[in-house]
Amino acid sequence: MTQLADYRHTMESCNHCGQCKWLLGPKTRGWRFAEICPIHAQFHFDAYSGQGLINIARELLEGRLQYEPGLINLIYSCTTCGACDVNCKSVRDMEVLETILAMRAKCVEDGQGPLPAHREMAERIEKNHNIYGHDHAKRQDWLTDEIKVSAESPVAYFVGCSASYMHTDIARNTARILNACGVDFTVLGGAEYCCGNPLWQTGQREAAARQVEHNLAVMRERGIKTVITSCAECFGALRNIYPRYSEPDFEVRHIAEVARDALREGYLNFQRPVDLKVTYHDPCHLGRCSEPYVPWQGEIRAFGLHVPPKQWRRGTNGVYDAPREVLRAIPGLELREMTRNEENAYCCGAGGGVRSAFPEQARETALDRIEEAASTGAAAVVSACPFCRSNLEDALTAEAQSMKYFDLTELITRAI
Amino acid sequence: MSLPKHIYEELEAVVGARYISDRPYILAALRQPLPNIATPPQSPEAVLLPGSTAEVQAIVRICNKYKIKYIAVISSLIVFAYPSEPGTIILQLKRMNRIEEINAEDRYAVIEPGVRHGQLRTELMHLGLSYPVASVGPGGSVLSNFACASGDNHNEYGSSRTNRYICGVEWVLPSGELLRVGSLATDSGWFCADGPGPSLRGLIKGFTGQWGGMGVITRIAIGLDHWRGPAEMPTEGRSPSYKIRLPRDCHRIHIFKFPDLGKLERAMVEVGKAEIGFSVMKFFNASAALLATESANDFWDLWNSGLFQRELARPLYVYLATQSPEEMAYEEAVLMDIIGETGGEPVDASVQRIYEDNMDFYILVGFLQRVLRLGGAWAPAKLSGDSIHHMFEVARAIPEFMTEFIDKGMILNAPDNFMITPGEYGHFAHIELLFLWDRGHPDWANIGMNFMRRSQETDIGHGYHSSSPPRTGAMLQRLGPLYSNCHVWAERIKQAFDPNNVSNPMP
Ligand SMILES: Cc1cc2nc3c(=O)[nH]c(=O)nc-3n(C[C@H](O)[C@H](O)[C@@H](O)COP(=O)(O)OP(=O)(O)OC[C@H]3O[C@@H](n4cnc5c(N)ncnc54)[C@H](O)[C@@H]3O)c2cc1C
Ligand code: SF4
Ligand code: SF4
Repeated sequence: MTQLADYRHTMESCNHCGQCKWLLGPKTRGWRFAEICPIHAQFHFDAYSGQGLINIARELLEGRLQYEPGLINLIYSCTTCGACDVNCKSVRDMEVLETILAMRAKCVEDGQGPLPAHREMAERIEKNHNIYGHDHAKRQDWLTDEIKVSAESPVAYFVGCSASYMHTDIARNTARILNACGVDFTVLGGAEYCCGNPLWQTGQREAAARQVEHNLAVMRERGIKTVITSCAECFGALRNIYPRYSEPDFEVRHIAEVARDALREGYLNFQRPVDLKVTYHDPCHLGRCSEPYVPWQGEIRAFGLHVPPKQWRRGTNGVYDAPREVLRAIPGLELREMTRNEENAYCCGAGGGVRSAFPEQARETALDRIEEAASTGAAAVVSACPFCRSNLEDALTAEAQSMKYFDLTELITRAI
Repeated sequence: MSLPKHIYEELEAVVGARYISDRPYILAALRQPLPNIATPPQSPEAVLLPGSTAEVQAIVRICNKYKIKYIAVISSLIVFAYPSEPGTIILQLKRMNRIEEINAEDRYAVIEPGVRHGQLRTELMHLGLSYPVASVGPGGSVLSNFACASGDNHNEYGSSRTNRYICGVEWVLPSGELLRVGSLATDSGWFCADGPGPSLRGLIKGFTGQWGGMGVITRIAIGLDHWRGPAEMPTEGRSPSYKIRLPRDCHRIHIFKFPDLGKLERAMVEVGKAEIGFSVMKFFNASAALLATESANDFWDLWNSGLFQRELARPLYVYLATQSPEEMAYEEAVLMDIIGETGGEPVDASVQRIYEDNMDFYILVGFLQRVLRLGGAWAPAKLSGDSIHHMFEVARAIPEFMTEFIDKGMILNAPDNFMITPGEYGHFAHIELLFLWDRGHPDWANIGMNFMRRSQETDIGHGYHSSSPPRTGAMLQRLGPLYSNCHVWAERIKQAFDPNNVSNPMP
């Protein structure tokens, strides 16, 4: 597992150019919606940004900065959305997000992190295998009789904590879509534990490892060759975190990709119109952070030459097209784009443990995103992540806004 | 040393607790050693985020009362944005980020310091307007670039340096007094920096600006040009491989190579005389290779292929932007005549294609920071201006000092990595020599300064006007005599305006 010291090159190369705070030039469309880092947009000090966090990481590593509560709060105010990383990597060979995550892991190792809310979540996962602390025996209670699930199939729907307990409609709709597409699939039921992403993002790597290793063992035991998710966090974990523990022997797909392929191949047809103007919010872990992890070990020689060559994860190949293709195929539905979209999407504000530790901050970011969604003229924002849903829906309700939120699976189900 | 409690509290009363901090973890983001500078900067004692001109004035007055030094900054891109002495506070002006007015009729925009190139340039495109955007990347501050720092850009051939575009200025003097310059002083609006009312434009900016050494500029108006392109950038693809192609009927790029600098110089002069083209320059070749690639390894593959050394050692980049296809046909015909007469040839089609596919090079230079990709140890030398002819004389003398650094393996082997940009259709020109070194080199800490010193010595020896006199004392003393003893004037003006020497003092 990489350590903070492995990112010295990143920490020492930063020249304060500020690209990690601003939308890439070719994608900028005006004064509004030009900022890309949700914490910098809210708190303004440079310390609240990818640049600031890697500067802090360097001082911590070199023993020039002492831990104090304000510092830990700052480190955990980052939503680990990776927008800084994509933007920095458009111009530099640096690993900004990996450095931030390694710094969080160091905080945990040093007994200084995470925040109490994250520690409590870890305890709940340890005890009940889900982030909410709900009864593990009820993990599969979302399943209804009308849904056809195989006891054995090499294709597994990995439901995740949120769809299992909180947004059970997403789980049911996903299963219905799979049924409609004719996909023979199984669910892991009680054998499925939290994907581990919330632990990984908050630096609790040992606790994350326990979830990852458990789930990997279950999938191996059950001969799973394809894992389908409806949750961006689970998707990101399976593609980006799991390969750090073991060479993946299964393919990971999001329900948006499954539906897109089924549409193309004619297994899925949309019969019913959904008359709605929508805009699509790219979840960070389905988009830019979902590229498969590729380990690299080597030497950085003079003038930045990486030996052996490094395969960079720059957010280029996240899942962007599939949800859009599916939405465009729904009769009556009009899709409008926000300025900050795809690899430059603005985070909903919930990620990295922020929603549990700093709900006010998470809400303010959500409102910023909602303002951008509304500026497109859309009546609804659609996404594909239950965590984005909670954060955006709560902000909409709190502000009594007329804009609606839909999970992608709901619109697909309506159109079938 | 940290700020005494009562001073901190006085400052806090101005901006509010949310917008001031002296916590070490907040300051950590403002005191990192830059990868090209060996000595780490001093840590500021506090950072403030003022939200208005009145707040800036109040802070500056407190600084004068207690002899606290201050530096106004926006992105802190350059070394002069960092404290050189203990006891300095930083005023980050990024909350003052409004575009106050865009006057499309009289063609000016009024902006606060926190407005970035990416924002203003794209807002103006919607209105068919433009301005010369410094190649500092989309996150650089427009105001800082126009009023406080350098101001050269890829399009200055068809426009000018940014100092020529300053209209009204609102200026908090080093003492805290508010001064409005130009037409603004007499409530006549923002249209002119030189009156009716006091001018003082030269004191604010002159050739390079004061780098924060003369108080705080809180608002400026800049002149605007007509924009001949689409209302939005026609961006295709995903990071980091965007493509931006402007419609070919009125936007064309031509790049030619020349066998020697003399022929290139002649072509540059003739194009200017014909007053065709929107952007004309001899661009850097190693920087071009960095801009054209997506990782250090990609750069090395390209650089080791020798293509850019062969094709772009002495190139003339010409961007034609016209109002109509007929005008394009005319400009292209004139251009081809000039190139034929001066002995230029088109570069390899693959090189030409890079620029046709990435026309943000002329709009925003969206990927400018790629020039720092090899690890960040870089510096520009020269950075001054004079006639085209003089800039070419300077260029011919570059090997006199650069070859030794290359031969000893101290810098990247890129002897042609300099740029000559004519301004105002060739009535002046700017030269910039970019050199890169590696932080792993045993002598890395000295390479930058040694190289710049040798470059300046060559200029002094020849009497060349090509090293821009910076505000730092020692260099200013050395170069001042070349520029009508500007160092004497600069010192006197600084003393008169800033008797307590609190506004970004430099060694
Ligand atoms: C890679 C790179 C390329 C560059 N290319 C160019 C180029 O092509 N053309 C060019 O002109 N410049 C260039 N620069 C130089 C310079 O960074 C920019 O000119 C400047 O506009 C950057 O803006 P900033 O927001 O980073 O300013 P900062 O770095 O924050 O400030 C720059 C200077 O101006 C002072 N300052 C800033 N705001 C104020 C204010 N409101 N009042 C008083 N003083 C103030 C600061 O104290 C500092 O000394 C380049 C820099 C880099 C790192
Ligand atoms: S984009 Fe990268 S190099 Fe630039 S300031 Fe941010 S972290 Fe540093
Ligand atoms: S990961 Fe997101 S929130 Fe954190 S510093 Fe980067 S852009 Fe900002």
